[in-house]
Amino acid sequence: MPQLDFSVFPSQLFWLAVCFFAMLFIMTRFIIPKTAEMIELRKAKINGDLEKAAEIKKQVEQTLEKYNQALQEANSRAAVSLQRTKDELEETVNRRQAELSARLAAEIAAGEKKIDAAKEKALQKVEEAAADLAVDVLNRLGFAGIKPKNAAAALKALKKDQV
Amino acid sequence: MSSPLEQFEIKPIIPIEIGGVDISFTNSALFMVLAVVVATLVLGLCLRNRTLVPNAAQSVPEGLYEFVANLLRENIGIEGLKYFPFIFTMFLFVAFGNLLGLFPYAFTFTSHLTAVGSLSVIALLFNIGIGIKKKKLGWLRTFMPKGIPFALAPLIVPIEMISFLSKPFSLTVRLVANMTVGHIMLKIIAGFIVSLGLLGVVPLLFDSAIICFEIFISLLQAFIYTVLSCIYLSDALHEH
Repeated sequence: MPQLDFSVFPSQLFWLAVCFFAMLFIMTRFIIPKTAEMIELRKAKINGDLEKAAEIKKQVEQTLEKYNQALQEANSRAAVSLQRTKDELEETVNRRQAELSARLAAEIAAGEKKIDAAKEKALQKVEEAAADLAVDVLNRLGFAGIKPKNAAAALKALKKDQV
Repeated sequence: MSSPLEQFEIKPIIPIEIGGVDISFTNSALFMVLAVVVATLVLGLCLRNRTLVPNAAQSVPEGLYEFVANLLRENIGIEGLKYFPFIFTMFLFVAFGNLLGLFPYAFTFTSHLTAVGSLSVIALLFNIGIGIKKKKLGWLRTFMPKGIPFALAPLIVPIEMISFLSKPFSLTVRLVANMTVGHIMLKIIAGFIVSLGLLGVVPLLFDSAIICFEIFISLLQAFIYTVLSCIYLSDALHEH
């Protein structure tokens, strides 16, 4: 079997070493760098693209956040304005109501005063009429010469005693 | 009918003798040179028009590159990538040696113990070299693993030495046996094609099938040779 002929070993070893190291040199110098170059470039490109995508995503998120913030701000501003309007309205209503009730109270007071005055006047007239009546009655009974003034005073004193 | 072993005969093409040592340029050496030239040409041509998005031709060397790189990463770890050129070259050299041998009238240098043995010896020396470079004198621990009582040293050291030296031997024999058997089978069946006349179509078809199978075996054995080299390299680098 030629495989077991070891006399060719030196020649085989020599040529194999020569060929192997020549190939190792060629591969290391030319083939591997050329191959690796593109693979590295591709990797870099993919990583770059991924980074870019991440950046865009970040930007989008930032924009969204800004939008949300603006929305929230607008909402809060609207709420404040609404509250203010409500307060104003309430105030106006209260004021008007107060004014109205004040006016009503004043009118009622004035009316009462008027009524009181009329009552007093009426009462006075009643007293006067009573005094006249008393003088008249006394005249008829024979007590002439009694002045209505005195009769009124007497009636008043009589009224005081009754009370 | 000629002997099926005839194809394995080594014949000198250019007889060279230096200092009484015969280093003739033989048909085996011719095919070693061819393996280098063809591998370089194939990969070189594939790499001619490189683009960022790989084209079909470009994906051949890139696929091989990623394949060997993954092999190193898995078997040795990230520091294994330092030895990438060595393993890459070894894989291609064996693969192209196997594949070129499948051409009719070609010579398969990977079917020779002396040739593959030489390659294994180079790999072994490389292993020892980086082992010593990495671990200095601690490399001798390879033959005397930690945790073993000193009294057992006379027993363990020879066993470990034999195991260390038998690794390249087993590598060699595995590849050589596969290649030899494949080629003997092809040759024997090819012999029947002629002698059976018209019925020779049957062995012809059979031989065609075997050729396809042998192409697969060629790549598979190159792969196995490379994987095992990686594992031995990892043994040389790491404690075990």
